[in-house]
Amino acid sequence: MSEEAADPGRRRFLTLATTAVGAVGTVYAITPFVKSMLPSARAKAAGAPVEVDISMLEPGQLLTVEWRGKPVWILKRTPAMLESLTKHDSLLADPASKVADQQPAYAQNVARSIKPDILVLVGICTHLGCSPDKRLDAGAVSGLGDDWPGGFFCPCHGSKFDLAGRVYKNVPAPTNLPVPPYMFAADTRLVIGEDKKGAA
Amino acid sequence: MLTNLLAWIDERFPLTKVWNEHLAEYYTPKNFNFWYFFGSLAMLVLVIQILSGLFLAMHYKPDTGLAFASVEYIMRDVEWGWLIRYMHSTGSSAFFIVVYLHMFRGLLYGSYRGPRELIWLIGMVIFVALMATAFLGYLLPWGNMSYWGAQVIISLFDAIPFVGPSLAEWLRGDFVVSDATLNRFFALHFFIPVIILPALVFVHIVALHKVGSSNPDGIEIKKKKGPDGKPLDGIPFHPYFTVKDIAGVAVFLMFFSAVLFFAPELGGWFLEPDNFVPANILQTPTEIVPLWYFTPFYSILRAVTTDMMRFGLLPFMAVVGGLAIYSVRDMMMRAVVAGATAAILLGLFMMEAKIWGVIMMGLSIVLFFLLPWLDRSPVKSIRYRGWMYKTALTLFSVSFVILGYLGTKSPEAISLFLMKNVYWVQIFTIVYFAFFLFMPWYTTLDKTKPVPERVTP
Amino acid sequence: MKKLLILLSLAAMPVAGFAAGGEHAKLDAVKIDLSDKTSLQRGARIFVNYCLSCHSAAYMRYNRMGKDLGISEELVKDNLLFAADKVGDLMKAVMPAEEAKAAFSTVPPDLSVIARARKPAWLYTYMRSFYRDDKAPSGWNNTVFPHVAMPHVLYEWQGHQRAIFKQDGAFERFELVRPGSMSTEDYDKAMRDLINFLVYLGEPAKLERYQLGVWVLLFLAVFFVFAYLLKKEYWKDVH
Repeated sequence: MSEEAADPGRRRFLTLATTAVGAVGTVYAITPFVKSMLPSARAKAAGAPVEVDISMLEPGQLLTVEWRGKPVWILKRTPAMLESLTKHDSLLADPASKVADQQPAYAQNVARSIKPDILVLVGICTHLGCSPDKRLDAGAVSGLGDDWPGGFFCPCHGSKFDLAGRVYKNVPAPTNLPVPPYMFAADTRLVIGEDKKGAA
Repeated sequence: MLTNLLAWIDERFPLTKVWNEHLAEYYTPKNFNFWYFFGSLAMLVLVIQILSGLFLAMHYKPDTGLAFASVEYIMRDVEWGWLIRYMHSTGSSAFFIVVYLHMFRGLLYGSYRGPRELIWLIGMVIFVALMATAFLGYLLPWGNMSYWGAQVIISLFDAIPFVGPSLAEWLRGDFVVSDATLNRFFALHFFIPVIILPALVFVHIVALHKVGSSNPDGIEIKKKKGPDGKPLDGIPFHPYFTVKDIAGVAVFLMFFSAVLFFAPELGGWFLEPDNFVPANILQTPTEIVPLWYFTPFYSILRAVTTDMMRFGLLPFMAVVGGLAIYSVRDMMMRAVVAGATAAILLGLFMMEAKIWGVIMMGLSIVLFFLLPWLDRSPVKSIRYRGWMYKTALTLFSVSFVILGYLGTKSPEAISLFLMKNVYWVQIFTIVYFAFFLFMPWYTTLDKTKPVPERVTP
Repeated sequence: MKKLLILLSLAAMPVAGFAAGGEHAKLDAVKIDLSDKTSLQRGARIFVNYCLSCHSAAYMRYNRMGKDLGISEELVKDNLLFAADKVGDLMKAVMPAEEAKAAFSTVPPDLSVIARARKPAWLYTYMRSFYRDDKAPSGWNNTVFPHVAMPHVLYEWQGHQRAIFKQDGAFERFELVRPGSMSTEDYDKAMRDLINFLVYLGEPAKLERYQLGVWVLLFLAVFFVFAYLLKKEYWKDVH
């Protein structure tokens, strides 16, 4: 019937080629839609690094600032608090902060901080995102028993963290509280969300 | 493995059956030409609009204080937001271009004729739903033209006797277009195209596949079947028309992208300069002009003046009515037609021009619905019609384009030649209506050519 | 096919008509070139130093402008950030809206998309058409926008102009009464830079839109070639 004979090989090749080019085009076309759901320039501007003046912060005092819509705690620890950090390693799940993405490399130490006394933590429980209570004082006054060395207690599901934000064993939260990237712009001027490597 | 899975599904869902009935064994006339691309293209544009609209809705704020800024937020702060927004704005005009061409195909080849009346009626409902969607969506950017356009169109309802003013207030939810109006327009602009339109398109296609597609020769391919029971002039939709439509889609997307990337405003035709000014309730734009796809109907609305009614519509309707009375044989029917003609003529004397403008605009769309019954020609396709229908369709097309063009211009200006726009609009309004209202006679009188048995290549 | 051509030419008619539709005042053409980064940077400088005192561009962020125009964040911070603290901030006006309303009896419009609402030629001519008018509240009037509330902010650059009208009241020409610090040529150049910047400000995406468009069209052309050949191959069956 036909003037030209159908060529099955050519037909198969053209079908594959058209499908392949079409598939590439579809992926390219979908990309902008997916990317439009990323944080916008407004969200990024609102999430820009925050500068905090900590010259007025007294030892034992905790200051909460907002960074990217999350509470960030800045705690100036007393010498007694710092001393307590080494005494309860057996109770902790990850005393040496080995889970690397929970803190920048410069905070991977016992105090989990750049300057030993200044602790910077994102105050969001690593279990399901509640913000833990501050139970900074040691002992029975905390309501967590006589041997409580001071730390944070999540009211939602009972997770416990010490004064370096390290998580206790046998609680729902899996990892230590995260330390955000931060640096000291001056002795008492803290920048949260940006370190020497650049903005987060 | 795959065959087993397919068998498992087929026992529970008629997948293979649907595939065969609507694609692999849906026999389609093989002589489709250029004009038969626009149905599938309209579906493509619907998908583009729903998808881009969905992602715009993730960032847009339907609040008079925030709407305009949220559009600019999409254009600047949202990653790729500008692309998605232009897709949607270009898509709305593309939708109408494709649908108008799809409808024009119907006029060329008589696709609306029996047994396809229902396909045409459903299609017209789709068109009305599309116009409603476009009108609702146009308010959302909350530019000055958005605002005043909605204000003017809703005020049309004021013209309805007795209930008009309260109806307009009910539509707005306020005494003027306001936050309440914007909020409900947003809700409806989501509901109609996402729920109603796809449902209508589904019914449109079910009806089409029931009777089978028409073709440029206007003959029924099902009448000539081979020994295997398949239409001799039919070929399976898949693969033949799927591959053809894919090539058509590529060409369409080239036009679409050319506008989207190089001229998204298209010189003010797709995005109006006045809509880059935030809505201002104290300042009307110098000229309130709807987007191009509404301007033919808008022109008809503006055409009706007291003089137009006296010296244009009245004699015109008298002639149409007289012809109808003369042609109807049945005495009962003749009395009904005479009564209707008298009522219309009386109405033209008694009621004011504002109401008649609204009526005529409504009628200009309603008449499309009646096409299957207005057309009395023994043939369907323009290929076998005589000079009368060809002339009528040409005049109608010209009047549609000119009414559309002059709808963007001030009635008092002279944009063509010789006389003010308003007079041209009035003349072409009569031409527009004459195409429909004289159709029963000129299609009967027209000398047609013999229609072939089989489709011509 | 013939009818199609007629229809297409009819469809093209309105476009021609639209392009011809003129304004009332005669407008001077201005060369817009968004690839001219230095012109855009000079325009941005004028805009931030002068316009932003009263007008806002509140849909635009400083850092986006810096990134698009090739100005580093440090330079933006040091040279352009008068009305904001952070480079990510929106470009709001220095003068609060209520104060502006009291001073000019109207709030100066936001200029983010002004170049999309008004033609560049209109803006260019407007910025060069202020003249002394003692009857106007601000002492200034404008031939393109009569009785505009805005005074001539850049008169120190342009100098004082006097408008000369014909017998029938139609505008004829300007006469420079007192020269400013710039020659007429330099002032026109500065205004061209400013309008160029306003066009950029109206649609920052324009910078990438054209480039991406070329790639998209090329890609679609390739896709069409394959799709067309595929169609031809299959349609060999049909006769």
